[in-house]
Amino acid sequence: MIITRQKPMEEIVETLSRYSGVALLGCGGCVAFYQTGGAKQTKEMAAKLRDAGVKVVALGVANRQCYLCEEREVAGLSDAERIRKVARELEGFSELENAEAVLSLACGVGVQNLANILEMPVLPAQNTLFMGRRRVEGDFDLEQCVGCGDCILAFTGGICPVTRCAKSLMNGPCGGVFNGMCEVSKSRVVEHAVPCAWIEIYNKLKKQGRLQELRRIRPPKDFTKAANMRKVAWGVQK
Amino acid sequence: MKAHSNFMRSLLSSEFTISGEIDPPRDANRAAVEEQVRHLKEHVVAANVTDNPIGDVIMNTLAPCVIMQELGLEAIYQATCRDRNRIALQSDIIGAAALGIKNVLALTGDHPKMGNHPQAKPVFDLDSVLLTQVLRRLREGENMAGEKLEHPPKIHIGVGLSPGVEPLEPEIIKLEKKIEAGAEFVQTQCIYDEKVLERLKEATSHLDVPILPGIAPLRSVGMAKFMLANVPGISIPEEMMKRLESSSNLTETAIDIAAELISAVKDYGFPGVHIMPVGMDQYVGEMIARSGVR
Repeated sequence: MIITRQKPMEEIVETLSRYSGVALLGCGGCVAFYQTGGAKQTKEMAAKLRDAGVKVVALGVANRQCYLCEEREVAGLSDAERIRKVARELEGFSELENAEAVLSLACGVGVQNLANILEMPVLPAQNTLFMGRRRVEGDFDLEQCVGCGDCILAFTGGICPVTRCAKSLMNGPCGGVFNGMCEVSKSRVVEHAVPCAWIEIYNKLKKQGRLQELRRIRPPKDFTKAANMRKVAWGVQK
Repeated sequence: MKAHSNFMRSLLSSEFTISGEIDPPRDANRAAVEEQVRHLKEHVVAANVTDNPIGDVIMNTLAPCVIMQELGLEAIYQATCRDRNRIALQSDIIGAAALGIKNVLALTGDHPKMGNHPQAKPVFDLDSVLLTQVLRRLREGENMAGEKLEHPPKIHIGVGLSPGVEPLEPEIIKLEKKIEAGAEFVQTQCIYDEKVLERLKEATSHLDVPILPGIAPLRSVGMAKFMLANVPGISIPEEMMKRLESSSNLTETAIDIAAELISAVKDYGFPGVHIMPVGMDQYVGEMIARSGVR
C-alpha cells in the first residue's frame, strides 16, 4: 500500500487559513488501512481544524480517491457540473460548492486525481512516503517497492534489493554489513537500524535451496524502464 | 595471461608481492601526494589511490595516480560506483588508461550518508561485479553500448573482499561472481586477527586468483576501538589491544604488530600483502623489514 504520514497541523492550518470554507475528503484505500486518512482520521481532522478556526463545509470519504471517477466521465463538463458530480457521488459532500478549497487526506495520487477533476485548489494533508507494508513487529515500516519497472523478485527470494538495499545493488551484499544490519542505517543521518536486504535475500534463498539464483550475475539495471515521467501507453500491452 | 603492469607481472611471478596505498589530500596539495609516494616507492611494487573513502570530498583518484607514476611508482586506480554512472565510469577508465594507468580496483564504494556530504545523491548505477564485467569488456575492445574500441584500455582488474563479515558465504559467492566477471586480483579489507586470515584461506582455497590480505597499522587504542565500533567485519584480538594499551611507544608497537601480521600473511601462503599505511607511510619500509618476508 501507499504509506503516508500526516503533515504537522500547523502546516495544514497555515495552508488553509486563506480559504473561508474548506471541504475535507478522506480515502477508503491505503490511508484508511494505514490509519492516516480514513473515515476516523478525517473526522478527527475536521474537529482539529474547527478548533483552529477553519470553517469545514463538507466532509466525505471516497471509496478510492485515486479512482474517484474516470477522466472521460468528466471530460466536457463545466467546473460547476464537475463539482455537482463529485458532490453527488460522495456522502456528506453536498456542500462542496460552498468550499473554496479541498483538503485531501489521500496519498499524492488521490490528491492529484481530485485536483485534475476540480478547478478549486486541492491541498494535501499527507506527506506521501513510499509503497510499503505494515509490519507486525518493530517500530517502523519499510519501503518495499520503488516501482522500477523491471521486477526481479523472482530471483531474490521475494525481497527487493532495488528498494531495500541502500545502494540498490544487483549482485549481493557490499562490505557494509554490520551484525546483519546495513551500515548506512547505522549512520547518524538515518533514524533506525535496518537489516541488510542482501543478507535477508541470502538467508531466504538458502532456506529455499535456491542459492544458485545468488550465484548468477544479474545484468545492469535498465533505467529506460525507471526514468521520471513514466507512463503506461494505452494499447501497447494489449 | 599477458601482464601489462609491473604489479601483475609480480603477481604472476613467484615473488611475494607487496602493494601499498596512499591517501589523497583534502586540498590541492601536490606535495602531500609526492611525500607519500617517496615513502612507499622503494618498498612496494604498486600503490592504490583511494576514491573518496566514506564519501568525504578529497582529491580525486586520477591526479595522484598520474603524479605517482611520474615519480616512478605504479598506480592501482580505485574506481567506485558511488558517484558515477556507467557513462562516467567507462569514460574515466578510458581517460585513465590514456594517461598510463594499468591497474584498476573495482569497488562498490561507500554510501554518501557515511561521509561529510550525506545529502548527496547516491548513484550506484553499476555494482562491483558489473563494474568488473564492464572493465573487462572495455579491455577486450568494446564499450557497454557494444561499440568497438580500436585502442582498448590495457588494464588489469582487481576487486575487494571483506573477509571478516558475518555471514561469510554471500561475500564469497560475490567474489566468485567477480572472478567470473573478470577479476584478476583481490585486495581485502584490513585484517588484524590471524583467525580471519585462516578463515580467508579456507574459504577461498577453491579460487584461482591471487588474494592480497589487507594490513593497516593500529596507531592507537582509540583507532582500534573506533574501527571495532564502526568498520564492519573488523576483529582485533584481546592480546593486541593489551599491547596497545600498555605500549610506551605506540609507533614502535604499531610497526611491530603490522610486521607480525605481514609475516603471518606469508606464513598462511598468500602470494602477497596489501599495506594501507593510514598515515604511517614513512614506516612502511620498516614494517616490511621487521616482517622478514623479504
